[in-house]
Amino acid sequence: MPEKNSSSDKGQFCATVRANKQIGGRFYRLDLEFQAAAAKTFAKFRPGQFAEFDLSNTALPPAEKIPEDLTDAAGRNVLLRRPFSFVDVNAKKDKTLAEVLYCVVGPASLRMTTLAAGDSVSVIGPLGNGFWVPEGKKRALLVSGGMGAPPLLHLAKVLTGDYPDIEVIAFAGAKTAKDLPFEKQLDGISQQLGFTLPEFAKYGINSQVATEDSSAGFAGMVTDCFKQWLENSNLARDSAIIYACGPEPMLAQVAEIAKEKQIDCQISMERRMACGIGICQSCAVLCRVDGSQETVYKLCCEDGPVFDSKEIVFSG
Amino acid sequence: MTEAIDISVDFAGLRLANPVFTASGTCGYADELADFIDINQLGGFITKSITAKPRKGNPTPRIVETDAGMLNAIGWANVGLDKFIEEKLPVIEKLSVPVFINVAGETISEYIAVVERLAAEQTIAGFELNISCPNVEKGGINFGTDPEQVKEITSAVKKTCGGKMLMVKLAPAVTDISVIARAAVEAGADALSLINTFTAMVIDIETRRPVLANKTGGLSGPAIKPIAVYLVNKVYNEVAKQRRIPILGMGGIRNASDAIEFIIAGASAVAAGTANFIEPGCAVKIIEGIKKYCISHNITNIKDLVGSLGTG
Repeated sequence: MPEKNSSSDKGQFCATVRANKQIGGRFYRLDLEFQAAAAKTFAKFRPGQFAEFDLSNTALPPAEKIPEDLTDAAGRNVLLRRPFSFVDVNAKKDKTLAEVLYCVVGPASLRMTTLAAGDSVSVIGPLGNGFWVPEGKKRALLVSGGMGAPPLLHLAKVLTGDYPDIEVIAFAGAKTAKDLPFEKQLDGISQQLGFTLPEFAKYGINSQVATEDSSAGFAGMVTDCFKQWLENSNLARDSAIIYACGPEPMLAQVAEIAKEKQIDCQISMERRMACGIGICQSCAVLCRVDGSQETVYKLCCEDGPVFDSKEIVFSG
Repeated sequence: MTEAIDISVDFAGLRLANPVFTASGTCGYADELADFIDINQLGGFITKSITAKPRKGNPTPRIVETDAGMLNAIGWANVGLDKFIEEKLPVIEKLSVPVFINVAGETISEYIAVVERLAAEQTIAGFELNISCPNVEKGGINFGTDPEQVKEITSAVKKTCGGKMLMVKLAPAVTDISVIARAAVEAGADALSLINTFTAMVIDIETRRPVLANKTGGLSGPAIKPIAVYLVNKVYNEVAKQRRIPILGMGGIRNASDAIEFIIAGASAVAAGTANFIEPGCAVKIIEGIKKYCISHNITNIKDLVGSLGTG
């Protein structure tokens, strides 16, 4: 995984669906194979980068399969592409396989559920800057909230594969156990840090779950769970790094914890965006200018979505 | 066969290789779409809005999708004139496509400050005067809805643009767009571009607040296309035709069929806007589609198609 900011190397590609599986509740995994021409650009893909999917011509599921709370939204036309991160990318020679872990939240993701093996979808990517690994890091702490987990699962894989000297620990939170985007049943998950989440355990990573309604794991916010763990650990702060992705209030908390504990922290931001390629200027993120009170808007799509937490000015 | 078709356009004295532009704000400052298209294949290129001073733009959310369209309220986020000249102009210099600078400002003197500095730049084909942006408190559309103000700003800019082409971009939501178009032309506009976006609002029914931080935004995309076609035809019939002023038509153009509708309505050239966000290569596809249409309809010169709307 190279240092931050490789040169932009993106394109518009056709991907063929290999599988599209419901893994529980509103969560699905979309398994794609890209056209051969994508291999060169996707070989450099880093966790935290994303792609823009055109779902405007994808069919809606039959009425009985549309969740009641989405009936009105379902009828809306989809015009713009939608940004998705990847939970896994494998680019070898001319073969590029990639997986998207997504949640049905609106008209576009609802349409995405009807993609079937053999269907093709237009994808623009890879986009943005992913997570990077500064020199001298020995411990990586992954903190996710709700649908923030997929890029961190990808990061977990890359860290354990390419950085054997770095110990990785994961914290995954959500409102309830049902809102955790994981495949396996979470019944009986202990409150102890252990090989709890199979998705992380398969890379040999300890993880801990937190739910706000105490339906699984730690009872409370994932940030409280993470903070408690930090208080009890004898972490060498210089050699540690936090990677976080999730809802913005949670990210603001993580940034605050990182500041208080003086630990490096990278945060993946989310914004409404149209183009994803730096043209439309929609996805502005308010950032501090180095060492001053001045602020500037950077673009989530091009300057991010991963930012150093010290840069971001969180609202509210 | 394709070679026998002439789709080049005389646009206010400037020969364009074809009638297809990309609209301001949908293709960056210069060559940002290089990963997707060869910008030199276009008939013309219009930069995003340039203001005298850098502008941060509006808070987020700045966009929201609607049925067959989108609202934007970017607020002229741009690097400002100095940085534009320093960083973007050298990129533009390398392009062979005619480049137009979209000029914006809060006061007439701000518009003039931008045009004065750029008027001597050989590499620039002309200016597009933005007096129709609905997303700023001062300037923009506030100049574009009153014919007297349109005259004042157009003639003031015309005096400073050093003989370069001046195109005035019109707002659609006015009592009579032809009155505004006439004012611009009488004050010296060489060409008209229309339409800019419509002021619109989307409400979040859970929070009972507007989705956009700016509260309102400009509606663009396929949703506005039939209105844009109508307004282009109206301005063509009532102003542009007699005075031989070319129209750059835009508003929801996604493909060649859309573009051809505008040309039949009276546009000498067309611009793809919102569609660039979805298909960054759409403008080049539109050029190809126009050629195919001309071939299959026995049109050897595209000028025969401009304003060819039958009314009988």
